[in-house]
Amino acid sequence: MTFAAPQAGGNSIPTSTPLLWERYAAFERPILGALALTIFLLFWEGVARGWWADLLHPILGSSADALRVRPIFLASPSTIAMSAYSMLFETGELWPHLGLSAFEFVSALAIAVTLGVPFGLIVGRYQYLSYAVEPLLAALNATPQIALLPLVVLWMGTGVAARVFIIALLMIVPIVISAHAAVRTIDARLLRLARSFSASEAQVFKTIILPASLPYLLAGLRLAIGRGMIGIVVGEVYGSAVGIGVMINRAGSTFKTDRVFVGVFTIVIAGLLLSELVRRLERRVGVWRESAVDVQ
Amino acid sequence: MSSRANVDLEAGPLPLRAGRALSPGAQRAVVGGTTVLGCLALWEVVVAAGLVAPLFVSSPSRIAAKGIELLQSGEVWNDVRVSTTEFLFGYVLAAAVGISLGLAVGCFRRVNYFVGPFIDILNAVPRVTFLPILILWFGIGIWSKLAVVFLGAVIPVTIATHSGVRTSEARFVRVAKSFGATRLKVMTSIILPGTVPFIFTGLKYGAGRALLGVVVGELYASTAGVGHMIAEAGNTFDTDTVFFGVLLFTAAGLATTVVLNSMEQYFERWRPQGQQR
Repeated sequence: MTFAAPQAGGNSIPTSTPLLWERYAAFERPILGALALTIFLLFWEGVARGWWADLLHPILGSSADALRVRPIFLASPSTIAMSAYSMLFETGELWPHLGLSAFEFVSALAIAVTLGVPFGLIVGRYQYLSYAVEPLLAALNATPQIALLPLVVLWMGTGVAARVFIIALLMIVPIVISAHAAVRTIDARLLRLARSFSASEAQVFKTIILPASLPYLLAGLRLAIGRGMIGIVVGEVYGSAVGIGVMINRAGSTFKTDRVFVGVFTIVIAGLLLSELVRRLERRVGVWRESAVDVQ
Repeated sequence: MSSRANVDLEAGPLPLRAGRALSPGAQRAVVGGTTVLGCLALWEVVVAAGLVAPLFVSSPSRIAAKGIELLQSGEVWNDVRVSTTEFLFGYVLAAAVGISLGLAVGCFRRVNYFVGPFIDILNAVPRVTFLPILILWFGIGIWSKLAVVFLGAVIPVTIATHSGVRTSEARFVRVAKSFGATRLKVMTSIILPGTVPFIFTGLKYGAGRALLGVVVGELYASTAGVGHMIAEAGNTFDTDTVFFGVLLFTAAGLATTVVLNSMEQYFERWRPQGQQR
């Protein structure tokens, strides 16, 4: 064999090469991930600034101009970053929008949790109640509740109350469904045992049902947060005043593309932070979850 | 555990005297059906008694009448056609791209490292939030809805397919390889069939997202479609039409679920009984 492995003594390969490779291999995932994101951002910046059109102009001639994108369609990442910086720290105009949207989100979540969790748990606990409510829940779940938005505006106007209502409506369905499902999966032997020792219903709820449901409730919370993000964007289409969704809508209709991106990215970042928060909570509660269907 | 024991354990509250003769499934149907009918009757009565103006809540009979009127006059068909087109094209494209991307990401580690961050970021938020940008790019016509439907559905399909590939039986793959199966053969006869249940899970999630994309896209800004009909009816205080439009979406959601379930059964028929997942 002519291409046998290099002998230990006579090789001239510097020893740092395999080491470097090993180090790379250990961090291949983050390295490649960061590389992909960088390439993507550079490509985007290039499209927005016409780099690629300039670059290909000598080769393709005037047809390269098709790569030029008008700034009303695409803001470059650097423009977006600068505009975000100015809106956050120079003019500070993003804060009121962010504040009101956060307020709407939190109040809607509070309403959805305080109403949805007890309702779902109680309905799940009693068989006939469960039979009665199940078809209604299924129908409500199959309906995209956001389509009720025009009705909510009709009922409650376009103020903050209407927005909180529609966001809470979007959030409450996954919360009720997961609370209901949680009780249905509790080991029936535990409940029977508690009853044999003459535990009151309040005790059963407090010591068995609530702790056992916690993982499901958190899964429901995660879904509710996603729904709430939709509510922020769409629920604020109607009405004026302030809010992230309002800001996006207004910037979009005046073709201030960089501001649209700032608004959307604000919501994306908020979503990332919130889902990380729920993940931390789940870890603290010691939830083991199948990651197979961890999708929004 | 025998089924007999199961029934005993689940018998929480004492069964009603009349319900004792019925199986749990029948009890469920009776109680559920009664509640639904009761709610509809209550809704009808409250409006008929003049407690709430029909302008605000409509009523079952008015919605039904409106629905028949719209279907007969043929006004609604154009909107239905537009919404269906948006849904079908976006969803089918998302299924094709999502399944191939999921397979690629599952089979090739480096592809996963490259594409992973984008999928994770897109998965953290509902893609519907990108709608304002998509409208900027594709206008308020059919294309922006196609894009939002596609984006909504492609992520769950990709992620589910990916996890299907990851969890495919390593033993089967090893056996096939030791009998000299090519990569393609392993792919088509082991990985792909094992991934089918996961793909369908993704497709079901994706269908929900796709429908949401149609609704939100058309409510947000549009020129036609059932969502557009709802938004317009809302602006003119035509509550009956709003409810009818919402019902159309509900029916579409249920129909998609039924179709996907029967497709799944078709693809899963090779599995021996009792192994179905």
